[in-house]
Amino acid sequence: MSGNDAVPLVRVRGLTKSFGSNQVLKGIDLDVVKGQVVSVIGASGSGKTTLLRCVNLLETYDGGSIQVDGVEVGYDDANGRRRPRGERELAHIRADIGMVFQLFNLFPHLTARDNVVLGLRKVRRMDRAAARELAEQWLVRVGLGDKLDSLPIELSGGQQQRVGIARAVAMNPKVLLLDEITSALDPELVGEVLTVVRELADDGMTMILVTHEMSFARDVSSRVVFMDAGRVAVEGPPREVFGAQTHERLRTFLARIELKRL
Amino acid sequence: MIDVMLKGLPFLWQGLLVTLQASAIVVVLALVAGVILGVGLSYGSHWIAWPIRLFSDFVRGLPLLVLIFSIFYMLPLTGWKVSNFWSAIAALALFETAHVSEVARGALQSIHPGQNEAGKAIGLTFGQRMLYVVFPQALRRFLPPWINTVVDTVKGSSLLALVGIVDLMLSIQQVIGRTFKPMPLYVLGALMYFAINYTLSQISRRLEARFAYVRE
Amino acid sequence: MPYHLNFNLVWKYFDRLSWGLVLSLELAAVGIAIGIVIGLGLAVLSHGAGRAVRTAVAAYVEFIRNVPLLLLVYLVFYGIPSVGGFAYDATTSFVMTLAVYAGAYLVEVFRAGLDAIPKGLIDAGRAIGLTPAQLVLHVRLPTMIRIVLPSLGNAFISLFKDTSLATVLAVPELTYGANWIYTNTFRIVEVYAVVAPMYLVTGYLLLLGLRLLERRFAIRRR
Repeated sequence: MSGNDAVPLVRVRGLTKSFGSNQVLKGIDLDVVKGQVVSVIGASGSGKTTLLRCVNLLETYDGGSIQVDGVEVGYDDANGRRRPRGERELAHIRADIGMVFQLFNLFPHLTARDNVVLGLRKVRRMDRAAARELAEQWLVRVGLGDKLDSLPIELSGGQQQRVGIARAVAMNPKVLLLDEITSALDPELVGEVLTVVRELADDGMTMILVTHEMSFARDVSSRVVFMDAGRVAVEGPPREVFGAQTHERLRTFLARIELKRL
Repeated sequence: MIDVMLKGLPFLWQGLLVTLQASAIVVVLALVAGVILGVGLSYGSHWIAWPIRLFSDFVRGLPLLVLIFSIFYMLPLTGWKVSNFWSAIAALALFETAHVSEVARGALQSIHPGQNEAGKAIGLTFGQRMLYVVFPQALRRFLPPWINTVVDTVKGSSLLALVGIVDLMLSIQQVIGRTFKPMPLYVLGALMYFAINYTLSQISRRLEARFAYVRE
Repeated sequence: MPYHLNFNLVWKYFDRLSWGLVLSLELAAVGIAIGIVIGLGLAVLSHGAGRAVRTAVAAYVEFIRNVPLLLLVYLVFYGIPSVGGFAYDATTSFVMTLAVYAGAYLVEVFRAGLDAIPKGLIDAGRAIGLTPAQLVLHVRLPTMIRIVLPSLGNAFISLFKDTSLATVLAVPELTYGANWIYTNTFRIVEVYAVVAPMYLVTGYLLLLGLRLLERRFAIRRR
């Protein structure tokens, strides 16, 4: 609910996407203003992960529009014709969008430091010394200053995910996409990761979070979006969405989540 | 026995050099072409992957000898002036390329797709993702089976003798033709082939064992 | 260079190709049958045997796998008779070589198959009181056959392609037939345009047959 007059950093309009005959996104509208944290919640199959993956075009979209900082992500609309973007252009666009994955996806053959350095050297074209320094700063920031030379296989799940966050954030993205980043973690490791995310939010990072951690979503978000069967069903500030609810399916969803917690 | 072997040795040695030379050329050609095709099979669109699949299945479905004979005898008909050596090598190279592309495909597809996605997410181009993320990980799954294709190439090169290339196999036949003593020369030739291929297979086995422990 | 396609000469001699194909399949079938006996026998033998036996078997396997089949074919047909060993006609000699060749590969297949038998099955057999001999007959062998079926099938298809080497001994299989037609008609494009599909289609049908068998019999690893 943008009470701001600011132009949204991420602007989604009428987004549709099908996998074969299954239409997963049925016309999504979403605005994310700079500095906002938007949480997307919903049952599996509601399309929330697909929505996220469309923003940095890990999935293509069939219809509608996604603009990040004024640039249409999937297509080039010059000359009035809609042309899908080629790999090189996409690489360029993705450099400014960060993503943290549910399964971490760290590069197993590289140390923690080198996982972060790779993007800085090859995409941001930094020289080796500057890249190393920046990587180390971020790894210290996420609490892994003593694990710079460790390989992913030597790190716990929570540590690996924090490297994943550092890898994404060191690139200085305009917006950070977080895809259920704690779902694959043992419960005792979830806290350390959420702490890092909260700090990033406090520092003003624009974020779109797909998550099952409801209390976290409530604490950290500017806005919460509930998706159901490919559409945005409910949208608003956390206390509204999590508070007394009139929306039938949202109530059922929240109740089920609470049950799981017990 | 031994004296026949010793007398034949210099000739067999010459043949061995030709075998090694031919094998080396084929291995290099097949490696480059095979990896490129393997990438096309794994990451290419339908229109790229399908022709490669067709080519690979066609070439691997034929006996190597049939491939060698047909290319060797058909090439002159195209008017293209290619030496015997290169016509014969072309067939072997085609065969091995198809095999290497399968090995490459297997190695590439064993890499979790999340790796490619993570590379995309930080803005790496396709080439960068291959070079810095996928290939380093695929290498350990590629190397041992690839060395087996090298062994197959050396063994397959013996068929070049049947189109007149004076490799190890043909020099064995030639010396037998002069001395009328087949067995010593077959044994000597077998030992020479064995020496090369056994060494290669041992390397492959050591590599496979080493890599097995680094599985994530 | 203008080349006018003329398939008639190929069809005229087509029986050399069709019977050649039949012979190729027969050679492969007999080769693998004997090869299975050799491979299974050696696998069972080296299973839990002493170092000497296992080394001997390994030496045989390594030698055969690292020497070109062509050389082995010549060695058996020309070399052995020349030092006073047995002398057989070309077809028999080739099949023997093929069997020894197949055996070397199949030893590994059977060894892996024997090792892959789930221990639980053996325990269950013992628990109901089966003697060791009965265990082998009713538990080990049937299970192992289902496990190795895919590898056996692929070996057979491979062997089928290897029968093309019988050409060098003038055994009238498919490749020999093709070469005969080429030598007598010079219709290289036509003859291989017919022979290549014959190999490919046969190989494909064999593969389909293998898949059908697998569906009915093979044990799937989860």
